[in-house]
Amino acid sequence: MALLPPEEGWYYKKVARDEKMWIAIALVVCLTLFFWMVVWHVYGRQNPSFTTYRTTPQEFNALTQAFIEKYKTGEMNGIPVVEPPPNSDVFLLGKMWRWEPVLVLKKGQEYRFHISSLDLLHGFSLQPVNMNFMVYPGYDYVLTFRPTSAGEFAIVCNEFCGVGHHTMIGKIIVKE
Amino acid sequence: MFRTCDITGLKVDTRAERLIQLNAVMAVVSLLIGVIAALLLVLTRWQVVHLLPVDWYYRVLTLHGLNALIFWIVFFEIVGLYFGSTVVLNSRMSSPKFGWLALILMVLGFLLVNATILTGNADVLMTSYAPLQAHPLYYLGVILFAVGALIGVFLFFANLLIARKERTYGDSLPLFTFGLVAAAIIATLTLASGAIIYIPTLLWSLGIIKSIDAGVYKLVWWGLGHSSQQINVTAMIAVWYLGAFLTVGGTSINEKVSRLAFVFYVIGINVASAHHLLVDPGPSPAWKVFNTSYIMYIAVLASMIHAFAVPSAVESAQRRRGFTKGLFDWLKNAPWGNPAFSAVFLSIIIFGFIGGVTGVVNGMEQTNIIVHNTLSIPGHFKGTVVGGTTLAFMGATYYLIPLIFRKKIAFFSLAKLQPWVFGLGIAVLAVSMYILGAFGVPRRHYDITFSGGPFTYTFNPATDFFWVLFALGGITAVVGALMWILIVVYSVFLGEPVRGPQDMQLQIAPPPPPKENHGFEAPGTLTLTLLFMGVFLVFLLLNWGWLAAMWEVR
Amino acid sequence: MEEKERKTPFLQLVLDDFMFLLFLGVTIYAVSYLIWGLIELAWLSPIPAELKQSLLGGK
Ligand code: HEM
Ligand SMILES: [Cu+2]
Repeated sequence: MALLPPEEGWYYKKVARDEKMWIAIALVVCLTLFFWMVVWHVYGRQNPSFTTYRTTPQEFNALTQAFIEKYKTGEMNGIPVVEPPPNSDVFLLGKMWRWEPVLVLKKGQEYRFHISSLDLLHGFSLQPVNMNFMVYPGYDYVLTFRPTSAGEFAIVCNEFCGVGHHTMIGKIIVKE
Repeated sequence: MFRTCDITGLKVDTRAERLIQLNAVMAVVSLLIGVIAALLLVLTRWQVVHLLPVDWYYRVLTLHGLNALIFWIVFFEIVGLYFGSTVVLNSRMSSPKFGWLALILMVLGFLLVNATILTGNADVLMTSYAPLQAHPLYYLGVILFAVGALIGVFLFFANLLIARKERTYGDSLPLFTFGLVAAAIIATLTLASGAIIYIPTLLWSLGIIKSIDAGVYKLVWWGLGHSSQQINVTAMIAVWYLGAFLTVGGTSINEKVSRLAFVFYVIGINVASAHHLLVDPGPSPAWKVFNTSYIMYIAVLASMIHAFAVPSAVESAQRRRGFTKGLFDWLKNAPWGNPAFSAVFLSIIIFGFIGGVTGVVNGMEQTNIIVHNTLSIPGHFKGTVVGGTTLAFMGATYYLIPLIFRKKIAFFSLAKLQPWVFGLGIAVLAVSMYILGAFGVPRRHYDITFSGGPFTYTFNPATDFFWVLFALGGITAVVGALMWILIVVYSVFLGEPVRGPQDMQLQIAPPPPPKENHGFEAPGTLTLTLLFMGVFLVFLLLNWGWLAAMWEVR
Repeated sequence: MEEKERKTPFLQLVLDDFMFLLFLGVTIYAVSYLIWGLIELAWLSPIPAELKQSLLGGK
């Protein structure tokens, strides 16, 4: 009784058959879910990474600018366009309120993305694929992507970063 | 110091009663602010109207988060804690003085926070992720509020210790109070995390500390932010048990199972704050998987146990009253005319089918990739803390008005309708937000046409339809919430007094006849929970299937 | 009557002892979430020197 102390001997009352059945089913589902996450790390192809490096906004900016210089192919609306070779380290930085650079990638190839911020937290939201990751200042998040579809993709910022937040949108182009 | 209630026969400490009343009033004021803000948000995000200018959108979003999620809920939980540790136990308030101190601190915090937000000094959203910075008075306000609440929680434990010493109850606490114990334990560590993070942040905003690490801030902040949601869940479930008891005389069909489930919460639920860091740099997948699984889903198991235990308490009581036909005769003949009953029942359904199902997908490490920071996230917690907790608390007030405020419920026929309007509105709102999120629409975003940005992007045109649903659901929910506020305020300040049991509009159900057991105790509930499990598994598989079709990442 | 008196089982003692539950809840959370998490943040390594070298050269 929710409002009164329980009846004498409540501790020894047998669990009803249907309640027992339900608990057993729920327990099996729960354990499966747990092991599923572990197993997906082994066999699944979409997993948050194990690698983060410590960095500083200054260091990360220097690396990104060097990266841009090395592979720059042009400019789009004032933002440099970069075409790095497959299997290379790719730098993407977020700052109020743009993503730099625009990346040109090849479908089916792997790229080691390094993502970080120069100021506040930002959100890396790849559309229309709808994959979402967080971006921090001071942390270099290493995510190895393999684009499996070609076309133009937007990087929408989906973590609040001040009044210009809604103008923070970047681009990734994937070629066949 | 005591009066004896002529309706329930309980001894009521009048000093506790006064504090309960005042905290309840503050809760209603907070919800009112939250709901007005909610209306403005709905009319801004629905870009056909796009009501607010950009700075006011984020300001009002901050206002909504703090008033609805923090002030409304915490003030109401203090009401529950004082009620459950004094009135329910026939015991006294350990220290009314500290109760007043707690209240004053909380009100001061409430005023400071709202003042700094409305004057544009804290456009940082509820989470105020460092290095984003607000005015020092904002942080001070949050700290005062949290300290006040912590004093309230300690008073609850002090009340329990007194009741135990003076033996006002047997060896074991009533289940409602036991649930509140679990909630209060979670509250302790929640508020401690709050202190660990807000005090340095205050010093940082004053220039005394040079910088705050973004990762450390977010990790500790969610120790506050998510654990506080677990307080809400736990308190809500305690209210469910209370509701089953008051409205149909239902008691848990097995107290040991229900109590163990509460202990599972105490052990496993607090680490779930890791949900908020699943796609973040920093912590390793080992930390993420272990913690986000609530230590191997021990707390999800607990929720599933309660999901069976509460409806089965109702079913068992109803069957013993003779509603034994078929699977659902007991449900058809439930006291639907009692707004507390319909509120609790809708709360269970919305929490389970919307909040629970989506919550597990959001909370699994890999599937979080497809929902993180999209509109699916607020969609999910509109199902938990709004359709679940808020609705359950609204139901509980229909008993508080006559029993604690000693007033009749005004506009009683409106009250019967209110849980349905609010519940339906929130359900539509939550589902449409969830679907919009699945199309990639971000949360906390002023303009999804990206005007002024270097590039643009157009979301799937199907989203237009769901935005209309979003607006309809949102406005309906606002109407439902305003109905409740009107009823409560009118009853308390202008209503007719309750002079005795004859003025009681809601029944306090007598215990049902002792039962004769044959086989299954609650076959109807089992059917419902199996249906739930089916929906849950289908939803889960869909999401994993979808995830498997994305770009590869590791 | 007297013979029927049973010893309170251990688990019930745990369930009834709310101060012990308070201790349990706070400790598990502090160790598994807070301390473990903060240690991992504190132990992150810097960006490897070879990678910096390859982009920045001798600078
Ligand atoms: C009365 C009906 C309500 C409506 C129509 C409503 C609507 C909304 C909307 C439109 C958003 C903004 C989403 C965005 O732009 O990112 C939002 C956010 C939110 N709502 Fe509500 N809401 C209601 C009640 C509540 C209640 C009662 C609570 C808490 C118990 C609550 C908690 C929140 C929280 C925590 C957020 C997220 C704030 C943030 O992102 O910082 N809401 N709500
Ligand atoms: Cu941003």
